[in-house]
Amino acid sequence: MNETTEIRLDIRGQICPSCLLLTLKEVNGNHQAIRSGAAEVVVFTDDRQAVTTIPEATAKMGYLSEVAREDEAYRIRIFTRDTHG
Amino acid sequence: MDNPYLLIVIASAVAGLSAGFVMHRSDFCVAGMFRDLFLFRNGFMLRQLLLLVVVSMVLFEAGRLTGLIPPGPFPLLGAPALTSVAGGLLFGIGMVLAGGCVVGTLYKLGAGSLLGGVALIGMVAGSALYAEWHPWWSRLAAATTLADDVTLPQFFALPSAALTLPLAAVGALYLHRHYRRGGLSRPSLALGHIAPWRAALVLAAIGFGSYLVVGMPLGITTAYAKAGAGIEALLWPEHTANLAYFGAEPLNYIPPFAASPVSGGAGPQLDAIAAIQYPLITGIVLGAFISARRVGEFRLHYRVPAVQYASALTGGLLLGAAARMTPGCNIWHLWGGVPVLASQSLLFLAGLLPGAWVGTRLIKRFVIR
Repeated sequence: MNETTEIRLDIRGQICPSCLLLTLKEVNGNHQAIRSGAAEVVVFTDDRQAVTTIPEATAKMGYLSEVAREDEAYRIRIFTRDTHG
Repeated sequence: MDNPYLLIVIASAVAGLSAGFVMHRSDFCVAGMFRDLFLFRNGFMLRQLLLLVVVSMVLFEAGRLTGLIPPGPFPLLGAPALTSVAGGLLFGIGMVLAGGCVVGTLYKLGAGSLLGGVALIGMVAGSALYAEWHPWWSRLAAATTLADDVTLPQFFALPSAALTLPLAAVGALYLHRHYRRGGLSRPSLALGHIAPWRAALVLAAIGFGSYLVVGMPLGITTAYAKAGAGIEALLWPEHTANLAYFGAEPLNYIPPFAASPVSGGAGPQLDAIAAIQYPLITGIVLGAFISARRVGEFRLHYRVPAVQYASALTGGLLLGAAARMTPGCNIWHLWGGVPVLASQSLLFLAGLLPGAWVGTRLIKRFVIR
């Protein structure tokens, strides 16, 4: 199995709408790597709305996502092929 | 009731606590609603605001028709002047730069956002600064006043229901169309999430409750000027005492359950404004704190890029000053004034839209990179 690079993005505490804007920037900047399964973006956010808007926006771009709680925040993983599965 | 303030303080605190809790759970950020329309072409949250306005329109009208609330406009609403458009424009820029409006920053602060706290400091300072140019600004407001009538129904000499109910029906039809296409709700994995449409209904009910018990819908920004005046009076007592804005008492009314009139203004004294607005502000922060604690999400965040602190402070200063220049904030005008078709509120909205657009351009270009 090929290694998947994890691109971590910690946006906790940042001003709105940093979460969605910075996530989209990261996803767009690495779209080839994410599409090939070589990379995935992992976002840490405390923005409750981003828990909805990030998966919604990235799904429109054809990506998969999963949301989990981590510490006092949310961890959103954006990927194409579930290499963890 | 012997002490008219007791009921006002309790009602405002309850309103604040419930609003803070619900706004945190649903992330009911009014600044974000306008910003996201321009930034992501996403009108989902703005539709929730429209729902709040439509429901408030019907509730306020029902209140008037049944005699529960007085027929005329509520206190502190002024005649429409072009200065309200200018105030709305600056307010729109400020709320996007601050990352939340005058209430949004409060519930974010309650959940642990230090940026919300910085924006609050900016709002207090900006509100107090306004007193420096108030005499000049009020002359400009008088010179650009468009009519003596406070509301559109008054201007057209129509019963208010003749305008509010048809408009509410049009709004309801529009919302119903979106509802049928699933455009009023969306799934959320946030813990303890309250759907924004439910929040809109609760907030409309809170505004109506405030109208019934306090005598007016929710408003908080005069208290920011009051807090600023209090701090300024400690530092420069003589200068503060000489500022006309802090000496005026524009609020003078008989609350619904009181026998005698109460009054208040932006000066540092504890008066009716303090009784209405301080508990509301404290309640919102506390309500959001309780909400965040209950879902285990309260955490103080301060490690953010310095430019974001600068943005929050600048936005706060603009929000504070603009709320005095309008006068009134987005909560006061959009949740209270627009539902009664107050001309001042509609002019504020006309300025707010382009202001939010400008703010969105600024935050994207200079703050979030």
